[in-house]
Amino acid sequence: MNTLRAEITSVKVHGNLSLVELHLEGTTLKSIVIETPATASYLKKGNTINVLFKETEVIIGKGKGQPISLRNILDCTITNIEKGVLLSKLSLKFKGHSIASIITTNAVEHLDLKKGEQITAMIKTNEIMLSD
Amino acid sequence: MIRFSLHKKLKASTGDMQLDVECHIDQGKLVTLFGESGAGKTSILRMLAGLLMPEKGTIEVNNSVWLDTQKGINLKPQQRKTGYVFQDYALFPNMTVKENLEYALDKNQDIGIVKELIEIIELTDLQDRKPETLSGGQKQRIALARALVRQPQILMLDEPLSALDRAMRTKLQDYILHVHRKYNLTTILVSHEMSEIFKLSDEILVLENGTITRQGTPMDIFTNRHISGKFQFTGEILHIEKEDIIYIISVLIGNNLVKVVADQSEVQQFSIGEKVLVASKAFNPMIEKINH
Repeated sequence: MNTLRAEITSVKVHGNLSLVELHLEGTTLKSIVIETPATASYLKKGNTINVLFKETEVIIGKGKGQPISLRNILDCTITNIEKGVLLSKLSLKFKGHSIASIITTNAVEHLDLKKGEQITAMIKTNEIMLSD
Repeated sequence: MIRFSLHKKLKASTGDMQLDVECHIDQGKLVTLFGESGAGKTSILRMLAGLLMPEKGTIEVNNSVWLDTQKGINLKPQQRKTGYVFQDYALFPNMTVKENLEYALDKNQDIGIVKELIEIIELTDLQDRKPETLSGGQKQRIALARALVRQPQILMLDEPLSALDRAMRTKLQDYILHVHRKYNLTTILVSHEMSEIFKLSDEILVLENGTITRQGTPMDIFTNRHISGKFQFTGEILHIEKEDIIYIISVLIGNNLVKVVADQSEVQQFSIGEKVLVASKAFNPMIEKINH
């Protein structure tokens, strides 16, 4: 599980859903949760909370190409690649914070990913959990 | 409602320990005493049953006083309406199942309750057999029935199922829930088994070194409720296996075995038998109708 600490900058509520915007090192993160400030007291603007997402949900992109629906885009550097037969783990640094991504070895080879390379790590809004 | 305040110096394997507990349990609740061996769980049950005398304390059950050390009130075990089941069945080997139950009757008590319990706990086919011919699960069912013969107000279960295999344990849990509800009992359970605690308990009392440190629902006590994932379960790790560069952790949740992919950094903090929270977002699971 990847964990980042980020500050809530806005909470947009509709019914039982909240779209939470967070701020970390000049980058905006978004998470949609089935909670509201009434059910989860930590959903408060200005609060610094945990942003959680699974390694297997981190998408890797190279270069800035076509417009994309993903709302969480982190500019990272690859610090290590652990290659398995089917799956590989990329260790990434995002402005000093460590995160990891597990993608197929096939994708690593296809994208020709290398240690030290700049890439973008992306996570879908509905794959991010929050906790206090 | 049960209200008690019990104070006693206990001799534990680790040395002397001061038991100081004060608590109330609402009528009809099933409450689990949770804590490490030697935390004082069994001593509390024994004091409620009148088998162990506290140095100082009061026990009040449904507005009647069972114990008040300052006023010199101390009801004898047989005057207290408690039923007690522990891991050891302690059945009379020379008596049949039915005779074992009848032996527990109070003087002048209507024998009808024995017949009723034989039906409810489904002992009809076993009633004329001797305990030695029965399985552990069957014997424990009889011990449960016997504990209910005197129609207790408090049913106390001290790790009653820990010697049974998983399938038998599940079945016995169903009987316990059934009689607990049918007779509107207040039940106090001692258990370490997480799936059992979640299945049976309304409330948990966490006992540490002789004091109650927390009281709440299983969800309150054992999970971090402040995680936003709506797909949350607690379970027990049965197996950890490395597959390629990831790990697959098998977790028993209730009676279902699920598998969770984990990273090495997570696996380092886990061991077999450990209780864990499994969480995912409500957006991920697929749901579909089961066709019969």
